[in-house]
Amino acid sequence: MKLTAHLNELDASDAAAFRKLAERLRSVPDREPSADLADRILAAVDAERGRSRRRTPAPWWGVAAAALLVAALSLFSVFRQGRTCGASAEDGLAWLAAAQEPDGTWSPAKYGGSEAYRPALTALSALALARGTEERYAPHLKRACAALASLQTADGAFGGQSRERLYNHALTTFALATLYSGQPALKPVLARAIAFSRAQQTAEGGWDYEPRSEGNAALTAWQVRALACAGRNGFGEAAVPLRKGLRWLRGSTREDGSVAYHRESFSRSDSLTALAAYTLITAGDAFPGLPALGRHVAGTLSAAPASEEVADCYRDYVKALAFESAGSGAQAAAVRQQMVARQKAGRRDQWQSVGGRLYTTALTQLAAR
Amino acid sequence: MIPYAQLTEMDDAALMLRARDDDREAFAVLVKRHQKMLLNFFARSGVQYDYEDLVQQTFLRLYRYRDRYVVTAKFTTFLFLLARQVWIDELRRRKRHERLAEGLAAEPHPDHVAPVAADAGAAGGMDLGPALASLPESLRQVVELGVYQDLPYAEIADILKIPVGTVKSRMFNALAKLRAYLEEK
Repeated sequence: MKLTAHLNELDASDAAAFRKLAERLRSVPDREPSADLADRILAAVDAERGRSRRRTPAPWWGVAAAALLVAALSLFSVFRQGRTCGASAEDGLAWLAAAQEPDGTWSPAKYGGSEAYRPALTALSALALARGTEERYAPHLKRACAALASLQTADGAFGGQSRERLYNHALTTFALATLYSGQPALKPVLARAIAFSRAQQTAEGGWDYEPRSEGNAALTAWQVRALACAGRNGFGEAAVPLRKGLRWLRGSTREDGSVAYHRESFSRSDSLTALAAYTLITAGDAFPGLPALGRHVAGTLSAAPASEEVADCYRDYVKALAFESAGSGAQAAAVRQQMVARQKAGRRDQWQSVGGRLYTTALTQLAAR
Repeated sequence: MIPYAQLTEMDDAALMLRARDDDREAFAVLVKRHQKMLLNFFARSGVQYDYEDLVQQTFLRLYRYRDRYVVTAKFTTFLFLLARQVWIDELRRRKRHERLAEGLAAEPHPDHVAPVAADAGAAGGMDLGPALASLPESLRQVVELGVYQDLPYAEIADILKIPVGTVKSRMFNALAKLRAYLEEK
């Protein structure tokens, strides 16, 4: 039975009225999909297919051995390099400038980190130098941008074979979009990078390393920051993935204002709550309600010093940004003080194995200004 | 490999079987064939500007769940089942966000004017959009599937997981409410 047969069963007056109503409803012309909708859908499917194929889990003993090796190298490097870097902002910038390689990159392996994250650490170090007011760092930045552009592969990504690939891509795209002004040579590089980001975005709007995932908050927030920055620099193609990414972040905010790594993760993450708050406030400023939501999320954070043994420069960096953007300057200052104090005390950082001293120095500089 | 032109001649079930074996071109034909139907399904649900995202999510679920398709099920029934689940998930997210937003003070943004959908009114002159939106979700879905998609009631019953008798009573109630709404205006 279809509607027509159903209406025939009704009494005549109802049937006539309902037929007229159904005709009226059907007379409305259908909407047409965007010309590129099918391509976008197929790109998302291709990305899903690619993620599924790339996922070849290493045996547990391989992972354990790699972790041990990284930890051993990190410890060795910490002792070899000395445990602290300059306390003042200018000392930190000068140290970063001096640590740049002749090819324009920064090598995390030399400072206790992993070489797999060379693009991401180059991006963060360049961003930190760019925040300085010193004109003398301009040549360093130019070399860094050229080096990052040269790392781009044919598909638009920025290096890496495994999980680090998307992390490198998000941070490098963010750095290049931030440093784009006055460097027209970066335009095709950024356009390819945005196309890669779009292709990697899940249908739900997030980004993740894992197949069959809607996204994780860390990677999604960095991608959103990159796309927002690119959009402000005139890359119109960033608008759609940006909106979807913000929508994913909004949907990942729990009722208590917290954000976790995955939507289904049990426990909240202070780092990701802060990163999401900052991203919603700054990248979502053209969307109604998002800055207010971001401030609400930031309001659930505490600036009180944590008593943990291991420092976490990443968490402190995003907390400082979240407090500052939410208008809580005093709390941001308190976090920065703790950050500098931890670095002075040479506290081992949670992210030591990723970026070593480059990471802690760059993030401390980025949080400080 | 079968030429693309030949794929476009195949029925949905045959294409889906090929897609199950990871034939990208077969999947592309399904996307192009059904994207408009899904787009209008979501657009009439009251989504203002995210309906293409929801279409994309539905096709991605179709890809993820392609192994679950059995030829005995009509393809569009399977597709609407997925679309309905995408829509339910979307509603849940919205409700959660609305609860969260209730706690936030209203904040006018200087650079933002509340968006007026460029296609406002496209749902049929002036009043059909609000009229449809005024229906409870359970009734609106019956109208969508029975009036716009012209699906048999048995298929609607499969998609919504309700008896055929309930489809009939919901359709009657939906049309009566729409009629009353439009007469009041």
